[in-house]
Amino acid sequence: MKIALHVPCYINELNPEIAKKTLLILRHFNLDVKVPKEQTCCGQPFINSGHPTTLPQKFNEVFKNYDYVVSPSSSCVSTIRSQTLEVSKKMFELCEFLHDVLKVKNIAKNYPKKIALHNSCHSLRHLFEGSPSELNIPYFNKIKEVLGCEIIEASRDECCGFGGVFSLKEGFISYVMGRNKLDDLLNKNPDVITGVDFSCLMHLESIAKKDGDNIEIKHISEILWECLDETL
Amino acid sequence: MKHYELAINFYKQKGPRHDKALWAIRQKRDKAIKEVDEWEELREKASKIKDEVINNLQDYVKEFIKNAKKEGIELFFAKDAKEHNEIVFDLLKEINAKKVVKSKSMLTEECGLNEFLEKRGIEVIDTDLGERIVQLRGEKPSHIVLPAIHTTKEEVAEILGESNTDPTYLTHKMRELLRNEFLSADAGISGANFLVADKGWAVVCTNEGNADLGAVLPKLHIISVGVEKIVPSMRDLGVFLRMLARNATGQKITTYTSIFGRKENGKRVIVLVDNGRFERLNTEFKETLKCIRCSACLTTCPVFRRSGGHAYRYVIPGPIGSLLAPLNNKEEYSDLPFACTLCNSCEMVCPVKIPFSKQLVKMREYVTKDDFAFKFIETSLHSPFAFKLFSKIIRLTPKSILKKALNEWSKYKEFPTIPPKRFIDG
Repeated sequence: MKIALHVPCYINELNPEIAKKTLLILRHFNLDVKVPKEQTCCGQPFINSGHPTTLPQKFNEVFKNYDYVVSPSSSCVSTIRSQTLEVSKKMFELCEFLHDVLKVKNIAKNYPKKIALHNSCHSLRHLFEGSPSELNIPYFNKIKEVLGCEIIEASRDECCGFGGVFSLKEGFISYVMGRNKLDDLLNKNPDVITGVDFSCLMHLESIAKKDGDNIEIKHISEILWECLDETL
Repeated sequence: MKHYELAINFYKQKGPRHDKALWAIRQKRDKAIKEVDEWEELREKASKIKDEVINNLQDYVKEFIKNAKKEGIELFFAKDAKEHNEIVFDLLKEINAKKVVKSKSMLTEECGLNEFLEKRGIEVIDTDLGERIVQLRGEKPSHIVLPAIHTTKEEVAEILGESNTDPTYLTHKMRELLRNEFLSADAGISGANFLVADKGWAVVCTNEGNADLGAVLPKLHIISVGVEKIVPSMRDLGVFLRMLARNATGQKITTYTSIFGRKENGKRVIVLVDNGRFERLNTEFKETLKCIRCSACLTTCPVFRRSGGHAYRYVIPGPIGSLLAPLNNKEEYSDLPFACTLCNSCEMVCPVKIPFSKQLVKMREYVTKDDFAFKFIETSLHSPFAFKLFSKIIRLTPKSILKKALNEWSKYKEFPTIPPKRFIDG
């Protein structure tokens, strides 16, 4: 099984630790994981801001010969999956890969802190890693299964207001939505807020910092690695 | 003013209340659709029926016209808003009408019928409670099913000159006022939710019975309706009637679901309106023609709930409006497809499965002009070396300049810390 790690460009620039943790998690399961050096950007920022791009084709060239491409970002996975490329069906979000392919569950069963999970839109309503509240389908949540501990969720499974280009065009409403999401989660007294999309978490953290909320926010790969790392 | 500015103003005045009211309706909707075990299959069916109709629209229009004429309904076909308004005006002139009672029709809003008739000396009274409120306030509906959702009970009391702000009291007051209008009107105008092709019937769904009074009391009843509202048969109608009210407001069915054929005490006329719809069939936005105007995409939209409908400035706001408005005027509404986080909630609630996210992304491309800077960066990002160079430049740029460049972010949020080293840095 040839596996490639996709390092989302914004994670490479703004939080490289997430890429490192994702790689460590995959290698923990004795997988042959390569990190293609020639990867850049999947094209999402261009597509979503209305500019034509051939970056998804370039992405395909880099990754098409692997059996699986694993990415710690559901929005990048969603971008590639919505194209009709060879790589489209091979790409998985980290938790999705752990759940669907490796069939690993309950990694954070003994995690000492109370975790609040932010179900991001791309994970929930594009990749269907859980059941969106809008649909009449049985409840499920793959991320919660992978974690396997008691999880706090927001009372509304709505958007946190990041939305990429949206956060730069409508800063105020973006802020309000993020504030509402934080309040919803903080009301339930978690120790840490996590999720599969660092973009949403970065947005929530930027608001928490500005408004002086005392809450730890970290990407799911960091929590999973804390649980898997035998050296700790 | 653009969406983002209007949204700030609205949110600061009424945002939290508006958001709460609409989220409550979203929850009622969720409960109602979860009572129908086969809900997701119904959506699939409804989507297929609408595909069939829009892919054979010309044939269905012909069939409907033939059967409606057989039924004894007079038929007109208007190619655009102007022609529609003229046809309606001529019909009213024929009977020397001075006053018209209108029940909710987004199509007449789209055509600007009220203003057209008022300029020509005909008084138009909107009879839907919410529509009458916004009409008296000199506004446009802010939501297609809940036109006055942006107003408070105090504001309603004020326009009625009442000091009592009890909603039930105010509703009764409005009912009294409207009853007189119904009894003295020369004609009634309504929209239609569906047209049944094989019967030639028009179906109107309301909660207040106002469309029925307007259809029955005056001698002339005009139905203005878009061509895409056709369903093939009564069997198909059943699919939509099970979904419409549940999805819109969480009711099992609207209080009144009236099927209109021949008018016993006068004349019934249907004006079928194209107004760009046939042309849209040949574009990548043809799937927007499947919309049944249930309004669920507005109600669920987290941006709409906080910005209010007027921030969209178009007759139909919210996600579906952000697709329709730029087709009507690309320059004026180029901000709307970006008043969206691509959260996809609209697509999840859509009863006819319009692929909202794909359509909104396409619409962003449609309204966006070629930009040399974007093209240059896009081309450069094919190379990891160029990417690294950009990354270096950003790390060397003082934070104050970055903050200023991303002002919409920094105004409301902390600027993220950029770590010195990347993960892939080769």
